[in-house]
Amino acid sequence: METLTFVLSGTVIAATPLLIAALGELAAEKSGVLNLSIEGMMSLGAVAAFIVVKNTGDYWLGVFIGGVAAMLLAALFAVIVLFLLGNQVASGLAVGILGGGMAALIGKPYESATVPPMPSFPIPILSHAPVIGRGLFDHVLLVYMAPAIAVLMWWIFKSTKVGLVLRATGESPETTHAIGYNVLVVRFLSVLFGGFMAGIAGAFISIASATLWSDGLIAGRGWIVVALVVFGAWRAERVALGAYLFGAATIGQLLVQSIGVEVPSQLLTSVPYIATIVAIALLSMDGKRIRLNAPVSLGRVYREAH
Amino acid sequence: MANRKILACLAVTIGLLSASVARADPVKAGFITPSPIADVGWAHQIDLGRQAIEKEFGDKVKTIVVDKVQEGPDAARVMNQMITDGAKFIVLGSFGYFNDGLRAAKQHPEVDFIHASGYKQTANFGTFTARNYEGFYLGGLAAGMVTKSHTIGIVAAFAIPEVVAEVNAIAIAVHKTDPKAQIKIVWINSWFDPPKEQEAARALISQGADVLFSLHQDTPSVVNVAEAEHVRVVNTSSDMSKYGPNAVLASVTNDWTRYFVDSFRAAMDGTFKGVDTRGGLASGMVKVTAWSKDLSAEQKATISQAEADLASSKAHVFAGPLRDQDGKVRAEAGSNLPDQEIFGMNWLVEGLSGSLPK
Repeated sequence: METLTFVLSGTVIAATPLLIAALGELAAEKSGVLNLSIEGMMSLGAVAAFIVVKNTGDYWLGVFIGGVAAMLLAALFAVIVLFLLGNQVASGLAVGILGGGMAALIGKPYESATVPPMPSFPIPILSHAPVIGRGLFDHVLLVYMAPAIAVLMWWIFKSTKVGLVLRATGESPETTHAIGYNVLVVRFLSVLFGGFMAGIAGAFISIASATLWSDGLIAGRGWIVVALVVFGAWRAERVALGAYLFGAATIGQLLVQSIGVEVPSQLLTSVPYIATIVAIALLSMDGKRIRLNAPVSLGRVYREAH
Repeated sequence: MANRKILACLAVTIGLLSASVARADPVKAGFITPSPIADVGWAHQIDLGRQAIEKEFGDKVKTIVVDKVQEGPDAARVMNQMITDGAKFIVLGSFGYFNDGLRAAKQHPEVDFIHASGYKQTANFGTFTARNYEGFYLGGLAAGMVTKSHTIGIVAAFAIPEVVAEVNAIAIAVHKTDPKAQIKIVWINSWFDPPKEQEAARALISQGADVLFSLHQDTPSVVNVAEAEHVRVVNTSSDMSKYGPNAVLASVTNDWTRYFVDSFRAAMDGTFKGVDTRGGLASGMVKVTAWSKDLSAEQKATISQAEADLASSKAHVFAGPLRDQDGKVRAEAGSNLPDQEIFGMNWLVEGLSGSLPK
């Protein structure tokens, strides 16, 4: 494998799960719900997908079940915060811990087991290109789907009525309610979507990239996702940029070490975090714009007026 | 008067009875590990030690095992629970249980502890460390024999002395069988992050490494990549050849069974001493298994000879003259690096590039 091929393919593989989960979280947050249980949802999605693939060999069924498993956890969270009026931050943390624990429990018999990697889907013609062919166009379908979903969501938020209702719900739920939309239903669906995406992201890690299950597999990526949404100023295109940047910096630091450049490895280990924060902070320096994009009611409990 | 005598007799009888009942009860032994017990890995090897005790002592022992225990309050709680449940012998499977273990040992002198990778001992608190560097020295010899690109890659968890000693042992051995070889190291700075470990492995492969070392990765993460990318790998803890039948060159494993059984017997007999036990190839605490079939008979013979020499102390991994990467002499010709320097290693040997995380 050439260096450049590795950089490209490593970057997209590292970025894909982050992007998929971040887009899901973006939808939830745009509707006004802060879901901090992503780490747990990703773990649950990862283990569910892994078990399906280990037993049936059907990768897409695995992806689907992974998404559904995380979505069920998201549904639990949604019921707590939307209908029982629980605090979003505390409930998210609690449900996330529950998800991690459940994943460890049901994954116990599969500790350290492996599956063959999900078959890749080389894009005709492009995958034969030198360097970028293997680097960018010889991956599993999910790798190409992630940026496509980002574009789709950007368009939905910008130009469709669905996007408008979602955004309005996050900005001013009272107004949305007043003009006849059911705030709780909009939020519920957004959180479910977020859960489904987090589950797929976890599935990607367990059956397409790491191809193994072990408790703790997600290793903090769920928290990176939360940060990406915030630092991406709640805009799909910036969240995507942040995800790929983070992936590139992760790969870059490992590569720099493997080449043998004399830089302390702890510093290198922190590079992805620093780079992503700096880059997105620079992009989002315009305070007015951030205020325009940040959902005003994010994290607030909404009590329906009767 | 007579009444009192009868009472006394009764008391003695009850005392004797209960004593004999207590003797018939199995002795409880507790095991605490930091990672989940799986088919392979560090916790798995600890669990094999537990099974050996069960096999050896049958119904005279009852083992309690709690895996995935975090360092700190959680560990203290688990220890206390085990002691409350009557455990008389506790194996602490992580360096991080150090402070809580020591405190529990002080509070409960009747309970004997053995602590992984520790450096402090008391009457009822012993420590055990494997000389894994001896195993990796053998792995290094093999790596130098099979590399075609003259590039060896090491995926290493944390730059603690134990791991640094392994890296150095690999470098010394590789340069014995392939003086031209370059050794590249990637520090993950995490004990557990399979996706990142795999990315590090791919990074090393992209830089030409055709033999990898997986230093302290508990899952087959690096082995998986090696198998997929058709390179070789020497891994830690357990035999992982089933995950990489073509890739695994050797597995450096820990066998705690004899040490655990002996320690437990001492705890049962009341002869337990809190000592520091360091075992390598000689005591069988370190075993290199899963040797690749692709090694020629001649190559295998060379490795076996080196193994015999290390086991009989005829040879030493860190034998002088030994210089560090700055050229400073660490061991004079004719002398070996003393144990305290090996287990406190914070420098890289001559011939290695890169710096250690400080």
